[in-house]
Amino acid sequence: MTHAYNNRSGVRYMTGGLKVYYVPWKPFLMQNTLPTFYGTLPIIRTILIREKISVVHGHQAFSTLCHEALMHARTMGYKVVFTDHSLYGFADVGSVHMNKVLQFTLADVTQAICVSHTSKENTVLRSGLPPEKVYVIPNAVDTAMFKPAPERLSNNEIVIVVISRLVYRKGADLLVEVIPEVCRLHPNVRFVIGGDGPKRVRLEEMREKHSLQDRVDMLGAVPHANVRSVLITGHIFLNSSLTEAFCIAILEAASCGLLTVSTCVGGVPEVLPDDMIVLAEPDPSDMVQAITKAINILPQIDPETMHLRMKKLYSWHDVARRTETVYDRALRCSSQPLLERLSRYLTCGAWAGKLFCLVMLIDCILWQFLQLWQPDRDIEVVADATLTSFLHEEMSRDSFFFFSGTIDDIS
Amino acid sequence: MGESSAAADAYENGRYKYIHDIHKGPPEAIDVHHIVLQRSSQKKLLIFCFLTLLLFASSPFFFFFLQQLNLLTTLPWSLLLGGLFVRLLSQKLVKKESVIILPAFGVQLETQYGSGRTIRRFVPINKILKPVLNECVTPVTCYWSLALIIRGEEELMLVFKELYPPVKMLVPIWKAVCAAIDVEET
Repeated sequence: MTHAYNNRSGVRYMTGGLKVYYVPWKPFLMQNTLPTFYGTLPIIRTILIREKISVVHGHQAFSTLCHEALMHARTMGYKVVFTDHSLYGFADVGSVHMNKVLQFTLADVTQAICVSHTSKENTVLRSGLPPEKVYVIPNAVDTAMFKPAPERLSNNEIVIVVISRLVYRKGADLLVEVIPEVCRLHPNVRFVIGGDGPKRVRLEEMREKHSLQDRVDMLGAVPHANVRSVLITGHIFLNSSLTEAFCIAILEAASCGLLTVSTCVGGVPEVLPDDMIVLAEPDPSDMVQAITKAINILPQIDPETMHLRMKKLYSWHDVARRTETVYDRALRCSSQPLLERLSRYLTCGAWAGKLFCLVMLIDCILWQFLQLWQPDRDIEVVADATLTSFLHEEMSRDSFFFFSGTIDDIS
Repeated sequence: MGESSAAADAYENGRYKYIHDIHKGPPEAIDVHHIVLQRSSQKKLLIFCFLTLLLFASSPFFFFFLQQLNLLTTLPWSLLLGGLFVRLLSQKLVKKESVIILPAFGVQLETQYGSGRTIRRFVPINKILKPVLNECVTPVTCYWSLALIIRGEEELMLVFKELYPPVKMLVPIWKAVCAAIDVEET
């Protein structure tokens, strides 16, 4: 379940029988819907009942819909799992508020998943969650899609690829310092930069200032389907993020047989074996040294061997299996009475704890009202449909989507 | 039409009642499906609306005329206004919606309101491409609806404009319209 994107709204069926609800709440800031607190309760309740849901799994600490859905699911007695995909700070105002919201959600979550051990440490510190409840399941990469180039590239000209959002968090400012220095030191090096963002202007300025137009290619935004074709034109992948819980981009690069040079931040050291990555401090001179070292060890790298190793190390099937284990553990947890759950919120803080309790109490009361207005048995459960012929078309009416198939079992 | 109808099926759910009639007779059997809004919920709705409107209509009058006139003269006014609103509402209140399938001819969609007014829409059989069951998602709820894809038009035509019957009542109607179209095509 997610919010509507542009005119994509309603119900969609994806491959493998995955059903997606695009709920028509308009996103108002950075792909996030307006936090309405209790506004999403009716639709979430309807979806959870009609689809006979057992576990609700929310992703991303920055998503308001996620926090609201987890809160309502908890009120209605469902088991809840939360996955955190990013690292956050502790100091600035935005982080402090974000951490408080996270503390609220995680105070009563059944299980939590983090994508690296560093991320687990970060989440546990920010939210005060007991570490036994947190599982570490690293992300994986689709090695079938990210294959190395069929022919090995010649080593006369070394191509360094950068694909990332050009924002402060991803270290675009570091790139502005590093690229001219590397171009000066190594005349046979070329850069390819894919991606777009607010810092693109600075990179263009750098290009003009040092006359690097023929040595730095700016590709603009690269759709995910084309990422592989950009990666296989290079020898080295450069990642300059200032913070990273995990980094799927370097996995994709390693799967395509590129040697990675990255900043040693967050969960990055946990991702690749030491011989596939060169780490550096997020400092321009240190990064230039690391790139030099990478260029020197480049002749020893074999893309095919790298790709085969990655195939063995990372697979989404493994992630799915581990996630299923977490679901099983969550389902086996006992349901707790309301008072015990509310007492957990009180530990969150002096005034925050009481505020959270109040929020949950109001949610419970609203839920009772909703049950009187529309009892559970009035919400029809969706039958298991066997989809024989599959027709899909987007219509101008904004709230629905259809499928044509046979409904065998409506009893 | 020939002989009298035979009630082939009747199915009830708290709010809606589904009745399936088959009119046998020359030239062919005509399929009629009715969805009736239950009297109890209709009455409840009416009483509820009447009371709220009575309250709304009477309160400003009450305060305005308190200084000048007494309660006896304000009450008939509020009753009259309330009655007027209820009359308008009953014109909007749907009593029954029907789907009449005339094989090889078309489908007639009828909407009968509380005041007795009936709106009919006819769709020729060759204009219907397929009936579809949609899951409609709104910001607060999710429900099933039956619609017809009309050849040459972009918008789907909703079979039940006002009522929201449960999917168990929609499925036999959907199957019947599909069958009628298949017969026509062969």
